[in-house]
Amino acid sequence: MTSANHHPSDEVLSDFAQGKLSTGMSVALSAHIELCQSCRQRSSELESREIVAWLQADQMQPSASPDFSGMLDLITSQPQMTGEAVVEPDREPAPLVSEIHMLDHSITLPRVLAKAASNGLVWHKLAGGINQAQVQIDNETQCEFLYMTPGSQVPVHRHQGNEITLVLDGGFEDEFGHYGPSDFVVRDRRDQHQPSTEEGCLCFAVLDSPLTFTSGLARLFNPINNYRFRRATSQRY
Amino acid sequence: MQNLSAVGNSISVRSPQRDRPRAVTISEKTPLEAEMEQAEREISAGPTDEELLLAVGVSQDRQAFNTLFQRFSKKIFAMGMKLTRNEQLAHDLVQEALMTVWTKAPLYDLDRGTAQSWIFTLTRNRCFDMLRKKKRQPQTISSDDIWPQEGDAEMSFVHEEQGSQAVEIAQIERFYTELPVAQQAVIEQIYIFDRTHEEAAAELEIPLGTLKSRLRLGVAKLRVLIGVEE
Repeated sequence: MTSANHHPSDEVLSDFAQGKLSTGMSVALSAHIELCQSCRQRSSELESREIVAWLQADQMQPSASPDFSGMLDLITSQPQMTGEAVVEPDREPAPLVSEIHMLDHSITLPRVLAKAASNGLVWHKLAGGINQAQVQIDNETQCEFLYMTPGSQVPVHRHQGNEITLVLDGGFEDEFGHYGPSDFVVRDRRDQHQPSTEEGCLCFAVLDSPLTFTSGLARLFNPINNYRFRRATSQRY
Repeated sequence: MQNLSAVGNSISVRSPQRDRPRAVTISEKTPLEAEMEQAEREISAGPTDEELLLAVGVSQDRQAFNTLFQRFSKKIFAMGMKLTRNEQLAHDLVQEALMTVWTKAPLYDLDRGTAQSWIFTLTRNRCFDMLRKKKRQPQTISSDDIWPQEGDAEMSFVHEEQGSQAVEIAQIERFYTELPVAQQAVIEQIYIFDRTHEEAAAELEIPLGTLKSRLRLGVAKLRVLIGVEE
C-alpha cells in the first residue's frame, strides 16, 4: 500500500485524541490512522501531550470541589473482572465483514469501517456515475461510502461545513490536486470543487452539513440534498 | 482478598522499593539507565499510580483504590466538564470511569503503558460512549472501535507499510541487545516466546512483580532508545 500524501492536521489529530470530535469524524480519523503509519505515530505523540496537560490541569482549576462521597463504597462493592477470562478473547481480532467487492476486485477495509459496514451496505446510483451507500453512525454527520465509476464526475459544489474524504481505493482529482489510497482530504466552506476520476475511486466520506451544488442544473438537486442530509440525521429532529 | 498471600508480597503498596533495585543491579548501569532510575526515585515519593493500580487489580486493595480515587476524581471531573459542559454528566463520568478502573484493574499490565494513560483513555472512551448514548446515536460504533486497544490494533492492521516496519524491527533488535541481560530475558519471554506473565515468571524463576518491573523498565528503555518517547 502506498503511503498517504494528505493527512489530518495536528489540531484535528489532537481533538481526536481528546474525544472532542463527532463519532462520524472520529471514525474517519480512526480509519486513516490505521492506514497511515506517520499519523499513527503523530497521534500517539499528541495523545501523550494531552495526557500530560490533563494531569497538570486541575491544579489550576478554581476550588470548585464536587461531592463524590458515597461513590467509593458503591464502586468497591462491585465485582471485578478476572484477568484470565477477558485478556485472551481481547487479543483475538473480531470477526468482521471486512471486504468490499467492487467490479473486478475486493478491498480490505480498515477495522472501524468494517464495523460501520457490518449491517450491510445498500448502494444507490446517483447522477454522473456516482454510487453511494450511507451508514448510520451518529446524528450529527452524514457518513457514506462513495464509489465513483471510472471517468465519472461530481457536479461542482461548495460545502456549508466540513467534508472529509478518505480514499480507500483508486483515486480522484479536483482543482486542488490528485488523491490516492489512504489520503485524508478535508474541504471546508471556502472550497468549491469538482471531483472527478479517471481510474475509479472508492472512498469513505463524512459531511457535517449538506453540500450545496453551485452550477447549472445541479442546483435543482439542492433541496434533495438537504432532504437526504436531514433523513440521514433524522433522529435528531 | 484471594491470592493475597501468593502474589501480594511482590506488588505490595507499602513496600514499593522491594522489586525495583533487583531489576537494575543485575548488570552495569548505563548513564541512561542511571538517569531513568534517578527520575523514577524522584517521582516515587509515595506509591506510584502503577503500583496502586496493580494492587487494586491483584488483591482488590481498597486503600490503594481510595488513593487512586483521590488522585484522579477531580481530573476526571475536569475532563467531563470540558467534553460535556454539563455538571451532572461530568459527575456521572467520575463514577463510571472510576467504576471501570475498579472492575478492569485486573486487566491492567505494565506493558499496557502508564496507569495515567490507561486511566485517560478509559475515561475518554467512557465519556465518548456516554455522550453517544445521551444523543441516542446508533450503537454500531463504540469508542473501542474508534480507539482499538494496542494489542488488538497490532494484529488487525492489515495495511501496514512493510518497508518501514522492517526497519523498525531491525532497530528494535539492535537496541534490545543494549538492555541489561535480565530485562532482555523478560522481554524475550513475553514478546518473542509469547508467554503470559505468569508463565514467564515461572520459567525465569522470579516473582511476578519482579518480572513486571523488569518488563516495564525494559520496554520503557526500548521506547526511549527507539525514539518514540522522550
